Amino acid sequence: MTTSPTQYAHPEALVEADWMEKHLNDEGVRIIESNEDILLYDTGHIPGAVHIDWRSDLQDQVIRDYISPDKFSELCSRNGITPETTCVFYGDKANWWACYALWAFRLYGHEKVKILNGGRDKWKADGRPMTREVPKYPATNYPVPKKRFDKEIRAFADEALAQSKASKPLIDVRSPGEFKGEITHMAEYPQEGVLRGGHIPGAKSMPWKTATNDDSTFKPAADLAKIYFDQCGLKPGTDTVVYCRIGERSSHTWFVLTYLLGLENVRNYDGSWTEWGNKVGAPIEKGV
Amino acid sequence: MYPPKLEKIIQLFESLPEIERRETLVSYADNAKKQEPRAGEKFVLEDVRKDEECADTVGVYLQVDDEGKAHFRMTLGPEVQTLTRAMTAILCKGLDGRTPEEVLELPSDFVTRIVGAELVRVRSQTIYYVLTRIKGICKVYLDRQRMAEVA
Repeated sequence: MTTSPTQYAHPEALVEADWMEKHLNDEGVRIIESNEDILLYDTGHIPGAVHIDWRSDLQDQVIRDYISPDKFSELCSRNGITPETTCVFYGDKANWWACYALWAFRLYGHEKVKILNGGRDKWKADGRPMTREVPKYPATNYPVPKKRFDKEIRAFADEALAQSKASKPLIDVRSPGEFKGEITHMAEYPQEGVLRGGHIPGAKSMPWKTATNDDSTFKPAADLAKIYFDQCGLKPGTDTVVYCRIGERSSHTWFVLTYLLGLENVRNYDGSWTEWGNKVGAPIEKGV
Repeated sequence: MYPPKLEKIIQLFESLPEIERRETLVSYADNAKKQEPRAGEKFVLEDVRKDEECADTVGVYLQVDDEGKAHFRMTLGPEVQTLTRAMTAILCKGLDGRTPEEVLELPSDFVTRIVGAELVRVRSQTIYYVLTRIKGICKVYLDRQRMAEVA
């Protein structure tokens, strides 16, 4: 049993809507919307927010990987972002893609990152201001990151396998049906060509949604501690790998573990089930 | 090759640069609600369901008039994505007044000409959904017609 925390480990990484409204015109803040629905930003967004798409902006367009450091520099520069800019991410689907974009920014070492609690849906439901006006910021000269922090916050298939063999914590954040191998994708999502269902041997099932309230905000620190420390058995200092289907839901859990609970060695296996379930010879467990 | 109303829409989209193409798609999406059934309208077939391919419930309603021409209405759940909303408005308008046979025989390659290569590339799994549902209800209608004729 771990002592129940009374507040998030890094409360500065999560902002509420009132804070956001007060910083809409803050030159040191860039609001970034990242969605699953590719045209959602165009239908209206938080005033001053720029749009970064997980696929066309953050991913390499040829191989399955993220953009190169020089492309990241270009992306930030054209959105008026400097290394000192505080980037506040928000989006649809309870901030899945916002957390994914935040995690990708961390891959390139951008440190000043925050999530808007509740994301786009809560902002809109609360009647906060929205606009269709696309902002234009003076281009900056974001230096090309010298390294990508893959080793620190990203896991690859061989590392997930090593984690499994060493019986170290692996958290599968997909739905219970996906974990059991009954389905290979979320119920309402297209099948994206995974040949096998199940989970990585030794992985514990803790769906991403367990960490959120009905309005998509994050649960209090004490509740999160019960879920991840008591139920999943995670401990500070222990290597933890999280995964889902393509890395977006696990980015959400990665944010919870890293920023809200303060675990230091959490890596997101973004290849996730679309890689593992197709990988020849990869060990798989089915059922509970 | 395509129904005149649809051809006109295709030509409009093909003439637009990418930014305006997106704006026009959003404009169509804004108008998707106008395709909902109106009070008193009667339909020969109604197909309301939630598929794995779509994020929320989509309803397709078919009306066939005395001349055998099809008219479509659609309902969309709140989670349905913007691109699907846009295709709903486009197809209800573009296919209005064609026969179910004509709709069923329609090649689907026009969808990419409307949506554009960039959106097709990044979200290819969602763009054909509405056309598939509209063709589906037309097929059921025609199958029932044939069965009735045989009986």
